[in-house]
Amino acid sequence: MADQQQNYFDPLVLARLSSLYLRARWVVEGVMSGIHRSRARGFSVEFEEHREYSPGDEIRRIDWKALGKFDRYFIKEYEDETNLRAYLLLDTSASMDYASNGISKFTYGCTLTASLAYLILRQQDAAGLVTFSSGIGSFVPPKARRGYLMEILHALEACKPAGETDVGKILQEIAGQMKRRGLVILVSDLLDEPEKILKGLRLFRLKGNDVIVFHLLDAAELDLPFDGNILFEDIEEAGLKVTADPQVIRRAYQKVVTEFTQQLRKECHDNSIDYQLLTTSTPLDHALVSYLSWRG
Amino acid sequence: MSLFFFHPVYLYGLFAASLPLIIHLLNRRRLKRIRFPAVRFILLSQRRISRSYRLRHWLVLALRTLAVILLVLLLARPVFQTGVGLLAGSGPASIVVLLDNSMSMTWSDGGQGFDHAKRAIGGLLTALKAGARAAVIPTYDSARAAPRLKAERELLLKDLEAIKLSATTADFALALKRAYALLKEPAAQKEIWLFTNMNLTGWERFSLAQLEHYDGLIPLKIVKVGESGRLPNATIKEIKFEGQGIGVGMPVHLTAHIVNFSDEEIRDVPVALSLEGKNREQKLVSLPPQGELAVSFQFSLQRPGPHSGQVELKKAGLAGNPVTHFTVQAEDKLRVLLIDGDPRTSLVQSETFFLARALNPSAGSDASLFLPTVIIPEGLGSVNLDSYQALVFCNVATIPDNLVPKLRDYVARGGGILFFLGDRVHMEDYNRKLFQSSPAILPGLMKDKKIPTASPGETIDKLDLGHPALQGLKDRILQESLSSSRVQGYFLVEPNGASALLTLSSGRPILLEKKVGSGRVLFFTTAADRDWSDLPLKTAYLPLVQSLVSYLAGGKRGLADPGLTVGSPKSFSFPRAYAGRKLRIVMPDQSERELAIDAEGEKAAAFTENDLAGVYRLSVQGTLAESAFSPQHYAVNPPFLESRLKAIDEDELKAKLSPIRAEVLALKSLEKGGGSWDLSFPLLFLLLAALAAEGWIAQKSHA
Repeated sequence: MADQQQNYFDPLVLARLSSLYLRARWVVEGVMSGIHRSRARGFSVEFEEHREYSPGDEIRRIDWKALGKFDRYFIKEYEDETNLRAYLLLDTSASMDYASNGISKFTYGCTLTASLAYLILRQQDAAGLVTFSSGIGSFVPPKARRGYLMEILHALEACKPAGETDVGKILQEIAGQMKRRGLVILVSDLLDEPEKILKGLRLFRLKGNDVIVFHLLDAAELDLPFDGNILFEDIEEAGLKVTADPQVIRRAYQKVVTEFTQQLRKECHDNSIDYQLLTTSTPLDHALVSYLSWRG
Repeated sequence: MSLFFFHPVYLYGLFAASLPLIIHLLNRRRLKRIRFPAVRFILLSQRRISRSYRLRHWLVLALRTLAVILLVLLLARPVFQTGVGLLAGSGPASIVVLLDNSMSMTWSDGGQGFDHAKRAIGGLLTALKAGARAAVIPTYDSARAAPRLKAERELLLKDLEAIKLSATTADFALALKRAYALLKEPAAQKEIWLFTNMNLTGWERFSLAQLEHYDGLIPLKIVKVGESGRLPNATIKEIKFEGQGIGVGMPVHLTAHIVNFSDEEIRDVPVALSLEGKNREQKLVSLPPQGELAVSFQFSLQRPGPHSGQVELKKAGLAGNPVTHFTVQAEDKLRVLLIDGDPRTSLVQSETFFLARALNPSAGSDASLFLPTVIIPEGLGSVNLDSYQALVFCNVATIPDNLVPKLRDYVARGGGILFFLGDRVHMEDYNRKLFQSSPAILPGLMKDKKIPTASPGETIDKLDLGHPALQGLKDRILQESLSSSRVQGYFLVEPNGASALLTLSSGRPILLEKKVGSGRVLFFTTAADRDWSDLPLKTAYLPLVQSLVSYLAGGKRGLADPGLTVGSPKSFSFPRAYAGRKLRIVMPDQSERELAIDAEGEKAAAFTENDLAGVYRLSVQGTLAESAFSPQHYAVNPPFLESRLKAIDEDELKAKLSPIRAEVLALKSLEKGGGSWDLSFPLLFLLLAALAAEGWIAQKSHA
């Protein structure tokens, strides 16, 4: 049973599903066991609690009956499940096209993004999509409408991994364009200078957004499992090449990558950003569970 | 001190030492290409490990190369040796010892060099282990025996004892050729030892190409025998004789050229000339440093026949060959009868005036080989023709009838007649008596007479310089002189198969020859005096006449021979009557050799064993007169450069021998003995250490 559960979220198995919708649904339906409660408070028909009035509260929300009973001003609070605005940011640079085990970071990222969109919209929250490489690719503004998922999926399916990426710069650009706060979910291999990336992420936080970072890497990028003398050519930067014997440099390489991810993890933590390192072989439910645990 | 390999053929495996590097380079060329997103991380990691990694990488490469080299050396089984190490070492060996017995060894090491070398070789041979085989070969082998490897010490020592100093230069090429031929036989250890004073002359003659075959891996140990020190070093370079012909009572001029090889002047050197073992003259000279000096002697011989002599530097303590031998064959004076057909009261106008002076320029003295006697034709009846080696008829009108059979008989028995014509000659008489009656004496039929006119005349265009009768005209100046002469009058002669020695510009012969029996007849179609040509006034006239008369007299003009160098072959020619007989040669050491005379000609016999310096005397066994052939003796001398006591530079010698592995040792180093050490175990240890280090470093690099 456990094996079946594992296969159910295996990225390779999922990749066989041609429809992004099916993939997203497959993942989400498998993970979800019920509706969770929104952390955001808002307008709803279901009363939740009273709280004392404070200057700035809307006058129309004062419970006048309670004023009569207790001679104090109380504000009526209701449960609100629809006002989360989630921005899904997917990196579509050429480096995302790398695949060492059959599934590329891009495919994995698309499936993850689609699953998250499905999940968010299913919970009647608003979901939007921004794809980027060297610049912003497609922009689907966040909405909570039923059937909006298909627009996001169409935008994802229209994407092709290409171009160089400058994650830090793009994040700053996107942050500048966002008018309302919400949840920013970044799916990227973050192959850029850590300082630049973190500068962009901090900007989201300064604007009051919650941020979740799915740092997506191929297992080969973590382990460098090659043999023999190899000429490594950079996927994005033409002319950047190096000859190396992985057997010789593997240890140092792994140390460099670990330092990189640890720096990102620490900085994210310090800035109250959720950081999740995923590889293309990580079952997709892990990512969703990570999101749901944030969602509470 | 040297390194020897038991199996040197494995050393070719050293080429394999380049394999690790080649593999490394091939791997670099066979790069796998991978497109990768995180190249910046690879760059970062490489930067971190770069220096130490490269160091380890090259270290590993060096250790792998070292391991291959050590393995190859191990297989070749090296032995380190000092002095006589190999001979004292283990394992069956084949060793060829070459002993330089060139003449220069005479003065090496204060005159003891040759003996010291022999003693050292004796020590080596005695030290040979059981199973080892050796051969001892001299660099100049007069015995010309085929050498072979022997295991018996006694035989080897006997071979060594038999080697004597030679009187010539070392033939290193031949000696090494023999050594390599012997060492073609399989053996665990092979070596060539050469004991030499490294004299430059012998090595100047040597080139590696002369060897044809050699094995560069066989060590060549050159043991240098002590040098001669600073002894005054001089010798006689050559001796030369001046003048034409050597006859009894004639003065013979000899010049000895003496060369001083030293850097310092050699004072008061007595130079002595001796003939037949008796001192004839001695001069005292001083030889300039690195210079040459000519010392002249004059002597005369009182009897005809062979004579021998020598020039000697009689100074004690002189290094270099002091004696040069020579031989002289003296002839009796050639008696020539001149028959003057046009005698005048004024001698100058006589027909024979120029001819008689050409044969004996200083009339009456002993300076000439020829003794001419002039008579008129009427006197012919009372003359004994046999008293003369040659008859010369000059413008004789007719030949007396009773003289014709005498002339035929005279020529048939080996006499020579030279006819000069002129205005008094009766053509019909000559034709009838000497050409048309049998046997004919004249070489052609006289057909007409061209009487001198005012015209400048014809020149002599064609000279048969290959003919022995014209040997005296070898000099180009004489040939030009002869060609410049003008001939206005001559008889037109139709050669009857006779050969023309001189031909006019009109193509008509002016000098013809006919052989009659054992004798010869020369026929000059012009006059002997100035009446018909200006020939008597030309420089070429004297040598021409002397050459013709010598030829008619059998070519006997005497001979002075400075000899040949030791080792050179001597060829002899004999008359046909000698074919099949034995030629006996008495050598300078009085030992005798016999040689079969094959046939008539230039090389009827050849003697190659001219190994000793001195005079070689010849005789023919049988009833024939032993004096009827020439020469009857000849001299053999050492090559003068062998006396130059200068050693070749060690580096130059090694370069000459390259790629043969030559090592130069001092003779004294052998006396210290030596030893040998098998390097297999240390090499094995080093190999294992190299492999272990390589493995450890490689593992550390990849960990």
